[in-house]
Amino acid sequence: MPESTPIPVTVLTGYLGAGKTTLLNRILSENHGKKFAVVINEFGELGVDNDLVVDADEEVFEMNNGCICCTVRGDLIRIIGGLMKRKGDLDGIIIETTGLADPAPVAQTFFVDEDVKARTRLDAIVTVVDAKNLPARLADSREAEEQIAFADIVLLNKMDLVSPEEAAEVERRIRAINPQVEIRRSTKSDVPIDAVIGRDAFNLARILEREPEFLSGDDDHEHDGEIQSLSFEAARPIDPEKFNAWISGLLAQKGQDLLRTKGILHYSGEDRRFAFQAVHMMADGDFVGSWREGDPRRSKIVFIGRDLNRPQLRRGFESCQVEDGAAA
Amino acid sequence: MSEAQDADFLLGSRGVSRDLGAWVVGVAWERGGGGACGFGLGDGTVRVARPAATAEDWASAAAHGGGACLSLCADARGGFLSGGDDGRLVRVTAEAGVDEIARPARSRWVEHVAAHESGLRAAAVGKALHLYDANGAALKVLAHPSSVGGVAFDAKGKRVAASHYNGASLWFVGSKEDKPRVLEWKGSHAGIAVSPDGTHVVTAMQENALHGWRLADGQHMRMSGYPGKTRSLSFTARGRWLATSGADSVVIWPFHGGGPMGKAPTELAGGDGVFCTAVACHPQHEVVAAGFGDGLVLLAEIASGKVIPVAPPGHGGVSALAWNAAGSHLAFGTETGFAGVVDLSRR
Ligand SMILES: [Zn+2]
Repeated sequence: MPESTPIPVTVLTGYLGAGKTTLLNRILSENHGKKFAVVINEFGELGVDNDLVVDADEEVFEMNNGCICCTVRGDLIRIIGGLMKRKGDLDGIIIETTGLADPAPVAQTFFVDEDVKARTRLDAIVTVVDAKNLPARLADSREAEEQIAFADIVLLNKMDLVSPEEAAEVERRIRAINPQVEIRRSTKSDVPIDAVIGRDAFNLARILEREPEFLSGDDDHEHDGEIQSLSFEAARPIDPEKFNAWISGLLAQKGQDLLRTKGILHYSGEDRRFAFQAVHMMADGDFVGSWREGDPRRSKIVFIGRDLNRPQLRRGFESCQVEDGAAA
Repeated sequence: MSEAQDADFLLGSRGVSRDLGAWVVGVAWERGGGGACGFGLGDGTVRVARPAATAEDWASAAAHGGGACLSLCADARGGFLSGGDDGRLVRVTAEAGVDEIARPARSRWVEHVAAHESGLRAAAVGKALHLYDANGAALKVLAHPSSVGGVAFDAKGKRVAASHYNGASLWFVGSKEDKPRVLEWKGSHAGIAVSPDGTHVVTAMQENALHGWRLADGQHMRMSGYPGKTRSLSFTARGRWLATSGADSVVIWPFHGGGPMGKAPTELAGGDGVFCTAVACHPQHEVVAAGFGDGLVLLAEIASGKVIPVAPPGHGGVSALAWNAAGSHLAFGTETGFAGVVDLSRR
């Protein structure tokens, strides 16, 4: 039997009342002929109508490495392990988290567990927010800000309840936390299913194919909350050894404050682009296809996190470049 | 070894095999003299093979209709015990009949089952470990701080051990007040084994390592250095060795002569670069059956390191492996639904 292709996993986060379960039921009820397994939490707002619904306990455990940010959802490891044993092809897995959930342990599960890594891929983290109430949530909850920081797609829901000015302001707040995120406006979570499912939004290479400029956005957004985003570019090629030494030191030391790190690197002497990403301290990287003909081969890196020192990060990244005048 | 002919493997000369069409989650041999072998599958059925009748079809029992079997073991007194993602704990007879023992919690998975010849049965559902007697009557429910990752009775059936986050709990089954001995170690613990003499408990951790506790004094034993997840653990009959999966060889720790602390493990049948995925020690001899990620099944003698090939690669990663009590037959199954039974008795 051939090795099966990894099953895409969509993570739905968002505050209670934002419209997460409505979106979930919309995805499931749409006549797409696809078979999803749905992992729901016990505090779900509404019933979920699907053949394959699994109750999850959101059991987070700390890895045995003495670090408080290295947390993993053990229940997901067990549930995904169980689902993989079932007969019949699943088209996808959708994981709903509670409103108060920190998305990091969910994302980190996909970096840590070898079985989960081998058999699934994180398609996208979709965060549903209530356009009217988001400013209040951001003011009173750390989780609301983190859910936006981790999102690949933000569904800006309940658009019928806000004025165009309010909507623009909410979008500005979202971009201040996560400038690269894709924002979809909706009312009653009414987006087409392909806006949130099968996006492969967690995969940097695919993002680049779709939006080559995604990492080049400016980061002059004011940041109102704790979480900010910084991005840097390097014109000269990157020395892989220097980069590895720098990034592993940085993640080990600063990983608790770094929610997400994403980079596209031009390694010295390499025609393919190297995509790097990390959630807190857990990192992954791979070559992802060649640079586009005629495009400048500039390396870019984005940090989303708390308490970030811009000059220090810039110097660190720039110091990973090969010496001026060295062969590229 | 991939070049080898089927004739070089015992399965070709002394075995029968079937393509069962679904992930083999667990395999077990019936207790007592019945001699039937049960395969729990990801399509929710349990298939029963009778090695004596090699040509016969394997009977199919619809144990978990529409769902999957998540765990299978030999039931206390004949037949098989199966837990499924339909929330049911069922007994499957050697004739492939199905009796529901319990439905401990609606819409929750029965993830781990264990049974002891004394008549005890255990079923883990989330954080709870449900115990039943030989007649299926509920005895007690043991609560854990987080979901149970593995369950094992000790050899006498006096204690039951359950792994979870940050360690394992060891319960006296007959105790009036249910207070476990908690064996603590940070991290997530899944597979669990109790040494045959009841002196050690070992768990398979998330971190490509094992953790053990010597019960006499609570001494910790860290067994690390695996390149992959250690999910399968098996003590040899008298408990002198612990065989484990998770490396590209069969890693065997000495539990004698002061080991495993400070001792290096023995590695058998390595070198192919393919991870060992399942181990089962012979019920009498110091011989290990091991299955690998490419479908290879072999026997390895611990003392000599001698290896005998049982089944060739090419049928999916080995996911289940079991000896019958006499040690004359070995059964195995793979993730892609290939299953085999090999007769190793003297001819
Ligand atoms: Zn950490």
